[in-house]
Amino acid sequence: MENKLREIRERVLSELEEARESSRLEQIRVGVLGKKGELTGLLRGMGKLPAEERPKVGQMVNEVRQVLEDALEQRQQELRAIEKDARLRAEAVDVTLPGPERSAGSLHPMNIALNRMIDVFVGMGYEVVEGYEVEYDHYNFELLNIPKNHPARDAQDTFYVDDNIVLRTHTSPVQARIMTTRKPPIRVISPGRVYRADEADATHSPVFHQMEGLVIDEHITMGDLKGTLDEFARQMFGEGISTRFRPSFFPFTEPSAEVDLTCANCKGQGCRMCKGTGWIEVLGAGMVNPKVLEMCGIDSKKYSGFAFGMGVERMALLKYNIPNLRYLYDNDLRFLTQYR
Amino acid sequence: MKVPMKWLKEYVDIDISSEEYAKQMIMTGTAVEGIEATGAQFDKVVVGYVVSCVDHPNSDHLHICMVDVGQGEPIQIVCGAPNVHTGMRVAAALDGAHLPGGKIKKSKMRGEISNGMLCSGPELDVPAGLYPHIGDEGILEITEDVAPGTDVKEVFGLGDDIIDFEILANRPDCLSVWGLARESSAVLNRHFIMPEIEVEANGKGRFEDYATVKVLDDEACRRYCARVVTNVKIGPSPKWMREYLYGAGVRPINNIVDITNFVMLETGQPMHAFDLSKVRDQTIVVRKAYPGEKLVTLDGKEHLLDETMLVIADHERATGLAGIMGGEESEIVSDTASVLFESAAFERANNRVTARKLGMRTEASGRFEKGVNPDGSLEALERACMLVNMLECGDVVPGVFDHNPNPVMPKTIEASVERICRRNGVEVSGEDMEEILNRLFIDTNLCDGVLTCDIPTFRQDMDSDADIAEEVLRMYGYDHIPSTLMNAVTMPGYRSKRMIFADRVKNALVGMGMYEILNYSFISPKWIDALGLDEGDARRETVRIRNPLGEDTSVMRTTLVPSMLNTVAGNLNRGIPEGRLFELSKTFWPKGAGELPEEKNALCIALFGADVDFYTLKNAVVWLLAEFGVKASVKAEGCVYYHPGRKATFEVDGKTIAIFGEIHPDVAERFDIEKRIYIAEIDLDALQALEKDFYGVRPIPKFPAVTRDLALVVDEEVGAGTMMEAIQGAVKNLEEVKLFDIYRGVKLGFNRKSIAYSLTFRAPDRTLTDEEISTAMEKILKVLKERFNAEIRS
Repeated sequence: MENKLREIRERVLSELEEARESSRLEQIRVGVLGKKGELTGLLRGMGKLPAEERPKVGQMVNEVRQVLEDALEQRQQELRAIEKDARLRAEAVDVTLPGPERSAGSLHPMNIALNRMIDVFVGMGYEVVEGYEVEYDHYNFELLNIPKNHPARDAQDTFYVDDNIVLRTHTSPVQARIMTTRKPPIRVISPGRVYRADEADATHSPVFHQMEGLVIDEHITMGDLKGTLDEFARQMFGEGISTRFRPSFFPFTEPSAEVDLTCANCKGQGCRMCKGTGWIEVLGAGMVNPKVLEMCGIDSKKYSGFAFGMGVERMALLKYNIPNLRYLYDNDLRFLTQYR
Repeated sequence: MKVPMKWLKEYVDIDISSEEYAKQMIMTGTAVEGIEATGAQFDKVVVGYVVSCVDHPNSDHLHICMVDVGQGEPIQIVCGAPNVHTGMRVAAALDGAHLPGGKIKKSKMRGEISNGMLCSGPELDVPAGLYPHIGDEGILEITEDVAPGTDVKEVFGLGDDIIDFEILANRPDCLSVWGLARESSAVLNRHFIMPEIEVEANGKGRFEDYATVKVLDDEACRRYCARVVTNVKIGPSPKWMREYLYGAGVRPINNIVDITNFVMLETGQPMHAFDLSKVRDQTIVVRKAYPGEKLVTLDGKEHLLDETMLVIADHERATGLAGIMGGEESEIVSDTASVLFESAAFERANNRVTARKLGMRTEASGRFEKGVNPDGSLEALERACMLVNMLECGDVVPGVFDHNPNPVMPKTIEASVERICRRNGVEVSGEDMEEILNRLFIDTNLCDGVLTCDIPTFRQDMDSDADIAEEVLRMYGYDHIPSTLMNAVTMPGYRSKRMIFADRVKNALVGMGMYEILNYSFISPKWIDALGLDEGDARRETVRIRNPLGEDTSVMRTTLVPSMLNTVAGNLNRGIPEGRLFELSKTFWPKGAGELPEEKNALCIALFGADVDFYTLKNAVVWLLAEFGVKASVKAEGCVYYHPGRKATFEVDGKTIAIFGEIHPDVAERFDIEKRIYIAEIDLDALQALEKDFYGVRPIPKFPAVTRDLALVVDEEVGAGTMMEAIQGAVKNLEEVKLFDIYRGVKLGFNRKSIAYSLTFRAPDRTLTDEEISTAMEKILKVLKERFNAEIRS
């Protein structure tokens, strides 16, 4: 009996050693430990043994059974590891192969720039307001201190619908509407489409976008305007970019300033982009003319404010190194797909 | 405005470089477009004296000249001009000289050394009028007794720096040399030295003996001054005057005309000179034109006038357009013997409107429309007469005509020092402000923190303390403005609701792989025609621009589709085979006359290329609507410019949200497109109204689902989607219906198709029984049989 058990043990162990697939293990298990397996058969045949031998034989059989079960379990784990390893190796892909084609999509670069600009001012507590693109002359010009037949109208060649209705030449009429309907404090920006009767070229477009800002409160100073635009310059174009104010004239502001930004290309050292000056002219700004405040029904003795206006396309051109304004309205996919 | 530095320096001491001067002017508000040196087109050309001149032995036309160019020994120059001769003063370009035509090099000409070139006027590109003999045939003869070796630029009056100023609209006073000199003196803190104006009235008689002036319109003609000059001797003006005029960009003509131009440039006051003998009855009438009156101006053009236009006339008819252009008849010519100088202040709005109406813009009208100070008219006239004295080109008749019914009143502005500091955000003492303002010729007194400022009449732009604040700040320096953030109440910052919505729309579309485009808001009316819309279609009613750049951009669009088709065509033409595009913009719908049009927010999507079809487009629209929690029902309807069998409309509660489909090939062809284009138009205002912020949460199912498949045979016309909706509406506890197959085959019969759906049943509160499912399936079948004549596929 003992020999028989030893023989089974040795044989099965060597069979397990030779097994190369988990299915073979199962075959071996059934052959030895299954319902009709050899060991099971031995246990079943114990009834024929004398009663005093039974516990000893039972113990011997169980010992062998334990050994075989452990060996089986161990071999099974080994084989599973080998098989998984083989499968993973077989599953390797060519990582250099590109994925399936899919159109990526993007916003228009003008709107990418505009979103960034709006973010900066929303972060400083400005509300975004929008207005009409086709607007009364009254809001587009007269409330902004540009009466009819004033030479300042020359600077903005205007598209007319009739004597009193124009395609807005700036987003300032939104400010005029805000000033006539709200009470200070006012802190708004108005982005949007504007129109000027200019032929399209590398720096002009009859349709373009502006973003203007207006702040009216007590004790607003020109320094606050400078600080605000410095912060804008820094957030939009990076550390080290600030503004330079030059005196200028706009009918709706007094004092007025033409505002330059540090040339981002050369960091103010002077290069071809800034014609060696280190500065790039980008926007107009100033303190709201008290005449404009009064025309809009705001007490200019109590309140002061500042306003600024900038071309969004100009910002996009500067920020994304776009060489020609026409690119923005050509809608050439070879250009647009560069912004995804 | 171009001004020679030399001219400016006559009135203000500028001892810094032109570049440094320009920089200081720019930083105080006078923009400079550029600095240009006159005569930069050539160098190394000197006065030469021809010592000897003999024929070239190997040529029938060349001469060998020995020319004294101030270098001690004369040099040999070969010259081909027939007029060269011994004893002549010439312009000699030396070896290495740059001329407009190229570089001059020492060379051999037919065996003879030539050390340079003797120049003709055109070879130096010096304009006629600047130097008397410049246009002469052959080489240029210099008639002045100038030492050989002198730079010819000195002879011609070249080599000065010309500053090109850009004058702001509020500073018409700076459209003059005096104005700029005055401004420069304030900026540089130097004295401004005005010439003393004194006229020697050396003519006979009085003004009234020679001419009569009647001003009939005091509103459009605020001031009119005139003087008469007799015994006029027309000739060239002196070199210094020609040089200044040329530097300022004005062509020298003759002494009288040059004086009018010189005075205009110097004082900013446009002047006119009449040949008095050609003025009928020697009478000048300033009046509005009669309706239908005609006039031929100096440039030979005939104009039809109306009653708003101010003219200069005689007793009978208009002879000139006041402040714009004189008439042909009384032009100054070479034998003009007596002259009437006009120095008038015409009202700017009237002048501007007239100039616009007639499409004329002259140096004079450009100044009048910006505003000419009536207070300076007489001074300018006197300056002109003083120049007549100086040039000795006529006798100034005693007596001045001066019609000035409403003299300009001086203005006084009071400004608080504290308010100025507060506005500017820059601390400047009252004393410093007083000093700055006085420098600007604004007579200012400081008393108890208040500045009392007497505004000179040439500063018509100033009328409030904000203007005073600006003057102080720009002179003190904008670079002193501190960078502060306002000390004010905190305010919430946010985007408008429309913008937040529009951003969500755009982000959803970008997520679907689309590119945003921008098109002009105005289009060609032909594009709307190309859509083939019905006669009464509202989109044919557009807002027209009265003064468009061209017919192609003359109407505000009522639909984004034509511009989109044009964009697609453009990309196809560039060889781009596929694309996914969208534009989000406004459309414009006219309302009553005098009312603003209605502006609607529209979205247009275009897909083209091999990888897209009708259903790609439909999905894009469905997904977009789903982004806002909107479910719409579909109808096989749409606009005429879509493919009749491939167009659809999405509706919510009977309201159209979107129209989409394949563009009709006829329409595509009109936009030069041969490919299939899929377009969707979405009414964003309608979609925004339906937008749901919160979609609600269904509990996660606790009970198992049961799935059944259902294959039906129906007629071809039955919509698979319509039937799906019918199934969904037929029974309760039907969680989902999915279409998984459409089959057409001979066995099904002609015009029949089989559609297979997978149905998922589930109840929220229990496990459904087989019996319940069977009942539901029977009910569905019954409904489908009734509505679509559907049969179970066997």
